[in-house]
Amino acid sequence: MKLYDYVLSPSCYKVRLMAALAGVKLETRPVDFHPGAEHRGPELMALNPAGSIPILEDGDLILTESSAMLVYLAAKAAPEWLGSGKPDEAARVQQWLSFSGRLTVSLGGARLHEMLRRPGDIETLRAEGVATLRELEAGLVEQAERGMRFLAADRPTVSDIACFPYVALAPDGGVSLDPYPAIRLWSRAIRALDAFIEMPGIHRLHELKPEPGIEPEEA
Amino acid sequence: MPVALSADLPAGTVIPARVPAGSIALWRSASGRLAASADRCPHRGMRLSHGFVRGEALSCIYHGWSYAQAGNCLRIPAHPKLTPPETIRVATHAVEEADGVIWVAVGEPASKPPQMGGFVPLRSLTARAGIAALEAATGATAGPEGLDWRTPNAPAIRLLLVPQEGGETLIHVLLDGAASPSERIAASRAAESARRKAEDLQERDIAQ
Amino acid sequence: MIDEWYPVGLFSRLDRSGSKTALMGEPINVGLDAAGNASVTGGNGRALPARVRYGHVWSSLGEPKKELFAIPEADQPGRRFIDIGVVRVRCSPLRAVENFLDIAHFPFVHTDILGAEPHTEVQNYKVEIREDDDEVWATQVKFYQPQAAKSASGGITTDYMYRVPAPTCSVLYKTCPPRPGEWDVITLFVQPLAEDLCDVWPWMALFDDETPMTDLIHFQQMIFLQDRSILENQIPRLLPLDPGMEIPTRADLTSVAYRRWLKRHNYTYGAQLVAQ
Repeated sequence: MKLYDYVLSPSCYKVRLMAALAGVKLETRPVDFHPGAEHRGPELMALNPAGSIPILEDGDLILTESSAMLVYLAAKAAPEWLGSGKPDEAARVQQWLSFSGRLTVSLGGARLHEMLRRPGDIETLRAEGVATLRELEAGLVEQAERGMRFLAADRPTVSDIACFPYVALAPDGGVSLDPYPAIRLWSRAIRALDAFIEMPGIHRLHELKPEPGIEPEEA
Repeated sequence: MPVALSADLPAGTVIPARVPAGSIALWRSASGRLAASADRCPHRGMRLSHGFVRGEALSCIYHGWSYAQAGNCLRIPAHPKLTPPETIRVATHAVEEADGVIWVAVGEPASKPPQMGGFVPLRSLTARAGIAALEAATGATAGPEGLDWRTPNAPAIRLLLVPQEGGETLIHVLLDGAASPSERIAASRAAESARRKAEDLQERDIAQ
Repeated sequence: MIDEWYPVGLFSRLDRSGSKTALMGEPINVGLDAAGNASVTGGNGRALPARVRYGHVWSSLGEPKKELFAIPEADQPGRRFIDIGVVRVRCSPLRAVENFLDIAHFPFVHTDILGAEPHTEVQNYKVEIREDDDEVWATQVKFYQPQAAKSASGGITTDYMYRVPAPTCSVLYKTCPPRPGEWDVITLFVQPLAEDLCDVWPWMALFDDETPMTDLIHFQQMIFLQDRSILENQIPRLLPLDPGMEIPTRADLTSVAYRRWLKRHNYTYGAQLVAQ
């Protein structure tokens, strides 16, 4: 499985993260998104006319939507990440997978503008970003009332991975995460998962490792 | 002033909060003890609310300098054998927790934070609206204990309203302790609706 | 600070139509003229000085008294030059440079790459302000790193030297795994847009024939992006040049010298003095 990848892309990170959590080894092919704009060059446009990354290639299968890549990785290697299959749970997974696109446009757009100087109406992008964060916060509050710590179930699913990166990186675009307690708890729960990997802008949870001990010579 | 809900601050975590003096790093040690430190490491000014809690200490994410609940610096990882001088410390604020709400002392408060009289916390949210707009949106008036909001066929809701910078209001939503999970979800949605209405009113600048 | 050279763009990405940016609060335009040379114009259309060096276009709102600083290693045969690409940060340009000079944060911010607990100790190193060139230099800096560079195959103790040849530029020299005895050169060129906003242009001159260009770019972008959320959360935004607000230790000798050097030259764009 080959991932056309950019280290700073939250969408590519969704796939890298899902692969790590599902125990799938990915071959990554780095794409010079910035400053080289390679995703818009002839080789990658031939593979994906949308001109976007990530692109996932597995034999004949070429996927260009990150949500599809998450589902594919889970289906192949860790189907518990797709949820139990019960109708309302399956529907919630789909609801939040679709929702994740709005995070990409708003929070992702604000981030590209603020960090990589891409064009955009920053005030509108941020306002839409706040609106999506509020919806996510309300959703997580309700899930907690149902006894569930994640978006679709009491265990994480592909929908959590689809939503996590752009939310965690909202401050890159000048959208603060301070007003969302439920999002904070959910983000922490994801970062504390076994086999979790970071991306630049998302720090390691150092508290998960104990304080280094006293040097042996001092004992 | 009520800055956060207990359920939103598990042991071993730190969150940002605000008091009139500025931003604070509100944290709970591994043993469950609360502390409120100024949200700024005296080394290079990094926000401590971005840090991490290990045991009974809060560490700064930048260089790992760690602080006790009393505010003194315990350890500087770049100099592991050094005992940090007493002068390296962060200011702290008195903090109390009662009935699931966390209160930070502002000025010289009365002995204990107020009790919630049977109301239990639901969630906190921030509105881009002032108290007047929230009163207009709920049709209720804010009193010394909060804004008591009664809607027909629903458990009583109490809103603790905390004015923030820029005309925003931090709202802690509490409701009758006997409410069922579905009633709690309904109350959360009611709070969202009230916020929407208040923000709309605020934008159109209609406040009674 | 107005009579200094500042980076304003990547030469390889210039075109005839030019692009708008800013320098110390003034809008400027950076493009190519009819002859294919870099051309920089100020807010009212006036021509600003332009130089092309180290892959970047440099300009000034004032009248620089010296030419742009030299990096002799950039002229060594066999070096690869890497344009990392610009990243905008909402911080003081001086804070961006100071972070680049710091190593004590490696285990916490660049975890398992440039540093890792428990290897957090910063050994003593040497710092001086070299009066002849009027530059800040830190030498004999060492730090244990799990993955020091894209070309490193395991943990090594890396040797470093740091140099500040201009108020918003820094050059880092580090152990070069493929060619022991030579230094890899990594630079941070910072364009001050405003006192609390800057465009950061990292650049490298390496001895590394193996690693693909994109991998090298991504490695450096990754490192810088790990610092960005620190830089945007330091209070105060402006770099304090007087003691009191912030407490350095022996590990911070380079930053202490940098702040002293800035103050001596009255390089205060992006700084604050206690009196304010």
